[in-house]
Amino acid sequence: MSSSNELDLNAYVDGELSADQQAEFLEAMRSDPELARQVCELGQLKAQLRLAYAAPPQPRRRVVARVGSSWRAVAAGGLLMSVGVVAGWLMSGENQRDADNRFVVLDPQGRGQAPATAASEETRIVFHLTSADPMVAGELLDEVETMLSAYQADHRPLRVEVVSHSEGLDLLRKSLTVHEGRIHELAGRFSNLTFVACKNTIDRLRVEHGIEVKLIPDAEVIDSGVSHVVRRQKEGWSYIRV
Amino acid sequence: MKKTMQWALLGLVGLLAFTGCATTTNNGYSKQKVVYHVNYDDPKQQTGALRNIQNHINAVGKDNLDLRVVMHGNGLSLVLLPEALGHTKGFKTANADPQRQAAIDNLKVQGVKFEICANTVKGRNVNPSEDLYDFSESDIVPSGVAELAELQTKGFTYIKP
Repeated sequence: MSSSNELDLNAYVDGELSADQQAEFLEAMRSDPELARQVCELGQLKAQLRLAYAAPPQPRRRVVARVGSSWRAVAAGGLLMSVGVVAGWLMSGENQRDADNRFVVLDPQGRGQAPATAASEETRIVFHLTSADPMVAGELLDEVETMLSAYQADHRPLRVEVVSHSEGLDLLRKSLTVHEGRIHELAGRFSNLTFVACKNTIDRLRVEHGIEVKLIPDAEVIDSGVSHVVRRQKEGWSYIRV
Repeated sequence: MKKTMQWALLGLVGLLAFTGCATTTNNGYSKQKVVYHVNYDDPKQQTGALRNIQNHINAVGKDNLDLRVVMHGNGLSLVLLPEALGHTKGFKTANADPQRQAAIDNLKVQGVKFEICANTVKGRNVNPSEDLYDFSESDIVPSGVAELAELQTKGFTYIKP
């Protein structure tokens, strides 16, 4: 990949291209699966970086680049950096809330979404499904049902999310799943159960294989399955790889 | 046979090297709480998991570790005795052969706790005291999945080999 393409790639993922440039880039992505894959990867990486560092320093670097002479650049850079460090430190709490808000926007109904500071006695589990095997998915649904029933009977608070990602997405694909009825029944019976599909996987299927994924109605969509499970663990959810 | 002896010798040397190291110097690791998740019946994958655990202990030191193995569903086959395969339900393999029994003994001596899901025991018609290798009542947890969740809220790190 050429370096100008690489710049475009970063700019695209950061949402910094103009409408025309974006259209052009999307066109390039359609004809180049490798580029599309890199967009997915970079997108995930950046999402995880955003989680790890609440205040990323990119805007300051652009300002520095425009200053003409070098000593002024260094001085301005130093000044901006110290301002940035102080501001970042002061605003880190603010940014954390921003990240939470952004997430809620991705899930308009807000079903099954717990705030970062949920009651500590609530058990919260995110199941990460990456296998296409219907038997594995069936056992998962058995376990989830047993658990939800037991907690309901004892009046203990519980929240369960099933994140299907990569080949695990088959569980939520209308044309492939053998569990649609079961999922519908469970989702109807337990409001504290959510099924989540990874948008990166859906996009990848479209770009690489020309497949338009149709999901079952009980599936919610999240931008990236990987960042989502990372995020959940940071919020104190327990993680179980199916 | 010769190969087995070589491995045993190697293991012994490793163990001696390790214990010597633990008593004289600090290996730099602080105390860890870790839960290993086994819910698959592939014998190779299970052997790999037991090896991972031993390597983990070698690196961190048994006195620095609170290490649990939670087994449920197909994962129970790790401690299922081959003769129990006939009358239990839903198992394709029973992997507690002499070799794995030895590996499990070895890990238990180093403080590893093997936990067994009561739901699986009930659902798959297992008689724990007869069908499972080296079973004791205290190994039973009400639900494997709930135990995995509970341990994580208590600060255990989750690993699925």
